Amino acid sequence: MSPADTLDPGTPRVRPEAIRAVPVRHPGRWVSAAIVLVVAAQLAHWFFTNDGIGFSTARHYLFDHSIVMGVGVTLKLTVIAMVMGVVIGVALAVMRLSANPILSGGAWLYIWFFRGTPVYVQLLFWYSLPNVVNRISLGIPFGPSWLPQDPKELVTALVAACLGLGLNEGAYMAEIARAGILSVDQGQDEAACALGMNRLQTMRRIILPQAMKVIIPPTGNETISMLKTTSLAATITVAETLGVAQRIYGRTLEVIPLLVTASIWYLFLTSVLSVGQYYLERRYARGSLRNLPPTPRQKAIELVRNWQASRARKAAL
Amino acid sequence: MSADTAPLATAATSGRPMVEAQGVHKWFGKLEVLQGIDLEVQPREVMCLIGPSGSGKSTFLRCINHLEKVDAGRLSVDGALVGYREVGNKLHELRDREVAKARQDIGMVFQRFNLFPHMTALGNVMEAPIKVRREPKGEVRARAEQLLERVGLSDKLASYPAQLSGGQQQRVAIARALAMKPKLMLFDEPTSALDPELVGEVLEVMRDLASDGMTMIVVTHEMGFARRVADRIVFMDQGVVAEAGPPSTVLENPATARLRQFIQQVGEH
Ligand SMILES: Nc1ncnc2c1ncn2[C@@H]1O[C@H](COP(=O)(O)OP(=O)(O)OP(=O)(O)O)[C@@H](O)[C@H]1O
Ligand SMILES: [Mg+2]
Repeated sequence: MSPADTLDPGTPRVRPEAIRAVPVRHPGRWVSAAIVLVVAAQLAHWFFTNDGIGFSTARHYLFDHSIVMGVGVTLKLTVIAMVMGVVIGVALAVMRLSANPILSGGAWLYIWFFRGTPVYVQLLFWYSLPNVVNRISLGIPFGPSWLPQDPKELVTALVAACLGLGLNEGAYMAEIARAGILSVDQGQDEAACALGMNRLQTMRRIILPQAMKVIIPPTGNETISMLKTTSLAATITVAETLGVAQRIYGRTLEVIPLLVTASIWYLFLTSVLSVGQYYLERRYARGSLRNLPPTPRQKAIELVRNWQASRARKAAL
Repeated sequence: MSADTAPLATAATSGRPMVEAQGVHKWFGKLEVLQGIDLEVQPREVMCLIGPSGSGKSTFLRCINHLEKVDAGRLSVDGALVGYREVGNKLHELRDREVAKARQDIGMVFQRFNLFPHMTALGNVMEAPIKVRREPKGEVRARAEQLLERVGLSDKLASYPAQLSGGQQQRVAIARALAMKPKLMLFDEPTSALDPELVGEVLEVMRDLASDGMTMIVVTHEMGFARRVADRIVFMDQGVVAEAGPPSTVLENPATARLRQFIQQVGEH
């Protein structure tokens, strides 16, 4: 028992006076902060007023019709490539964990190949492929075929970009999905088996839903990264954000301003995705973290409260 | 009791044993975990498997529903070989689909419950009858609610496993196994992960099940339960059946020094 508990219950408990001490001064912090502020202000001033940068030109093109359309293509590419990546990645992960050596070996080979070559090379590859393949047909291998297609029509620049980005992403998503599947307790698999569920049912109904906890947060990161990587599609004539910007500055020679325009869009989109990612991670951390980190809103409220409290204390003195 | 868990009219009426093991062997690499198990479990019989840690109790139990593969000997459930089909005098391995089919009729309850954490109690119980047996949802739901009521959890239908105590989770796990209308139930130390005060509620459900005529094989360290509920006790030691018989004989007059020592050790806890 603490001494307080043994006190006569009639005695009111008095709150002892809080310590009032002179806080430690940090002159170094003030000096370094001042230097950073001055440099940042100079940079900003130079950036916004320099004619070479041409910020006003950049702002002028920000909502240009073709730029906005390009941003739409960027988003479309990102979504398609990520959907392909997730589907291929989960399939590869399941294959890699299969007991069949052909399946797991095939998945290993795929991942080895697509992670081992630059995505830029892959894009060029898919883009150039129709030039050397004369005819694509759908049919039984080495057997009769139907639906003959002109490969140039089938694999447009946009399709080539989707293929290049999506197939490459599949290899990265495979590793993420594999980690997710392996994170699920072995007992879950046994319980499902003991109930008579087959491999597919166990995977779909029991393992994957639980693996999502581990799979989803890094997938958010991959999406942010993909949003930027889609700019490589500009090199194979796809009219996405950077591609459109390049076309415009090819005409007007306002290279830097248009790169700034494109950068502003990329920054905006990645910022939006990062906010989504932050809440996604918070959501999936539930159950593994006891105390979740505060959201920015909670932080702001806390800050205001502390400030009010310190003012109240000062006023009371 | 309801017809839900009554043994199907197969082994029960044919006079053949529900489980029959002849010289069952199992190796893990060089380690011979099961060194020739011979035993029979009759329909409606409750058999308790006891024995020191590492003696192969779990391994034998897992062989019965083919979670582990038998390496030598014969093991059959309700007249059908586990994991193999006999054509002439040759054994053919069963396909995954056939193994899964055989497991549908064998319920298993694990030490660590292994409930599906992303499903409610009701969802856990309904999952296999709907997805595996493809029974109509309405029927399954009614039966699942009935089963959860039977294990005393009618107020926890919508709770997730994380919101339930260990004892409650294990009772859901039992209901989940019963929902498949098994003809045989396997229990692997169903109460050893539970706090002492929660052991009773699970044992009570099992006792209830036993008195309804369910064929059960129970690996347990609960000597009180074994004494009162088991028709037969099998003492396994180092991969063989060292002693077997009714509780009165095996527990009161152990024939081997090894079993005497084991009973003494377990009794101390
Ligand atoms: N998958 C495995 N791979 C290798 N060895 C294993 C495997 N499973 C079990 N064993 C070994 O087989 C032996 C018997 O294990 P088993 O789990 O059947 O014992 P048990 O009688 O159930 O013991 P306990 O009372 O501790 O549960 C042990 O020595 C164990 O280490
Ligand atoms: Mg065991």
